[in-house]
Amino acid sequence: MSAIATDAIRSPARLRLSHPALIVPLLLFLAAFYAYPVLAMMLRSIAEPTWTTENFRAIVDDPVVFHVLWLTFRVALIVTVACLVLGFPVAYVLARLPPATSNLLMMLVLLPFWTSILVRTYAWMVLLGRQGLINQLLLALGAIDQPLQLLNTTFAVYVAMVHILLPFMILPLYSVIRGVDANLMRAAEGLGATPFGVFRQILLPLALPGVAAGCLLVFILALGFFITPALVGGPRDLMIAVLIQQQVDLFNWPLASALAVLLLAAALIVFAVLARILGVEQALGRVQR
Amino acid sequence: MRDERQLLEFLFSLGQQSPHAAAYSRRHLLRMAGRLGLGAGAAAALARLLPPPVALAADPPALPEITSIPEKLKGSGTVRVCSYGGAFQEAQRKAYFEPFERLSGIKVVEAQGPDPVKVKAMVDTKNVEYDVGEFDRASVINLLNKGDYWEEIDYSLVDTNNIDKNFQFKYALDMLPYAQTYAWRTDVFKDAKPASWADFWDTKKFPGPRTMPAGSGGLTPFLEAAVLADGAPMDKIYPIDIDKAYASLTKIKSSVVKWWEAGAIPAQMLNDKEAVMAVAWNGRIAPIQASGAPVEIGWRQGALRTDAWAVPKGAANRANAQKFTAFITMPVPQARLSMLIPYGFVNNAAAELVPAERLKTLPTSPDIKKQMFIYNSQWWADNRDKVIAKWSGWLLQ
Repeated sequence: MSAIATDAIRSPARLRLSHPALIVPLLLFLAAFYAYPVLAMMLRSIAEPTWTTENFRAIVDDPVVFHVLWLTFRVALIVTVACLVLGFPVAYVLARLPPATSNLLMMLVLLPFWTSILVRTYAWMVLLGRQGLINQLLLALGAIDQPLQLLNTTFAVYVAMVHILLPFMILPLYSVIRGVDANLMRAAEGLGATPFGVFRQILLPLALPGVAAGCLLVFILALGFFITPALVGGPRDLMIAVLIQQQVDLFNWPLASALAVLLLAAALIVFAVLARILGVEQALGRVQR
Repeated sequence: MRDERQLLEFLFSLGQQSPHAAAYSRRHLLRMAGRLGLGAGAAAALARLLPPPVALAADPPALPEITSIPEKLKGSGTVRVCSYGGAFQEAQRKAYFEPFERLSGIKVVEAQGPDPVKVKAMVDTKNVEYDVGEFDRASVINLLNKGDYWEEIDYSLVDTNNIDKNFQFKYALDMLPYAQTYAWRTDVFKDAKPASWADFWDTKKFPGPRTMPAGSGGLTPFLEAAVLADGAPMDKIYPIDIDKAYASLTKIKSSVVKWWEAGAIPAQMLNDKEAVMAVAWNGRIAPIQASGAPVEIGWRQGALRTDAWAVPKGAANRANAQKFTAFITMPVPQARLSMLIPYGFVNNAAAELVPAERLKTLPTSPDIKKQMFIYNSQWWADNRDKVIAKWSGWLLQ
């Protein structure tokens, strides 16, 4: 068995296995189920009812769209920063622990990751409610006399979104930090660097691709968030996805498409800015060697 | 959001004791949990969190039975029916689907999440996934304004003798009257009872957080309530002056902690005391009342709304869909549903089959119906776009 396997690896078949044609099925799949729908949507935003810039003009003329876009970006930015601050230490510890322990702890990151967004959002509703666990605990401890309004606030949106998106930050950070040679940090320490100096001059620069990839993932996913703000948010927690759905419901699909194109453009601009600062390779999370 | 509705309903049902508790047996829960990707261990833990089913005060009276149907309603093959899932669709299964299958010889295949937006896409692409669905009348008319998206209802199959004319529409047949009205916590307002929208708006007499329907998520803001709170009489609501209605809504805005997009939310918020007063659908309040939540419904000045069956244009089994629609609006199926869930019936002959005690609690019972106004679907079909266009800007003001 193993002899056959070894033979197969050594034989020229191995070369053929890495032939570029192997990605053709994936490309066809993406073309049919991703590129085509996205292009059709983009086309709809300028080609319906006739060739027109009317849909985009309607957006530009509507101050509400930009207000909501700004609110959406603010939420996405705050969630991204919170995920980075909370996720970096976790990823670092996971990367430095012996594999047996880190695999076990990694399950704690992955289990929620595999659970439905709606279930996790509902869990926060149970925790943050007036009669929820947190308020009950604070009341029992005598820290408060009246239940705090935690649910149906922007605060609840941040908490629930950070919880849901944290694995998207930790996983890329973990894989990059694990590749950082621990000897470099030991050497820096040996040469008299403070712990913060080691972090700033060695770890952070080397982990930058992970930071970029994690931030990009979290930020772009956060831009499209929809159910969580609707369920745990306050009365003014409007996200751009809500506006898009409103237009879909009104059968105004060209305008909905234009809004979606705007969101896509905004996400691309964020990527472009990041790529400009870090280089495209690093922004995509690839370690430069 | 809509696709996730069933899951949402299920999650909310965990926190409440549904009167249809038997439906959420341990096995059902395990099955649902399996679908959610929770392991058996997690599911068992969840099951333990559920309180044991409360015994209902008295055994519910047996449902009326139907033993024969007109020959013209019989057939073969299948009909794909799309409704809203959860405990509601389970009630429909008992009330409608099971007797229909038995008597007509047509098999019912169930789908969930009727959505007029999806109907448009399905008909446009000639790929219609269900033959009949439950919609509200306004959304049927709305889509009709965009083109030829619905089959005409075949009234030659329907026994219309006891069905009000205003329930019969060329492209949809109303099947489920319900109330969109206010409900409140009786442990918060012990002395005075709110009895009008003016009371709902009165945050001095009835202080505390409120929740009302949003102008997003496929819903429309409750402008009728705003107009009535402003002092208009019930017969002068329509046509609504949209700007004036929004101005009235502004007066209550600071007390509304949540504008809801799903019918389960106001019930959950009242149950958990996140809100002390809510606009809700009456059928959603019944389960939390049954579980002992101190919540009462006010009928005076409520809106009597209806859902309707409609058949998407070109649905493969449209002939069976017509037979299904005709069957479920017969007296017995209508009475059966009203006995399982406190929604009204469109066939007046059903009144003779529903026990008097139950009849009193339905939005179509004469004493209750006369306190409410009839929701004007045509006005909403004509004006929805204008109302929604103002919603987000108003919300962020």
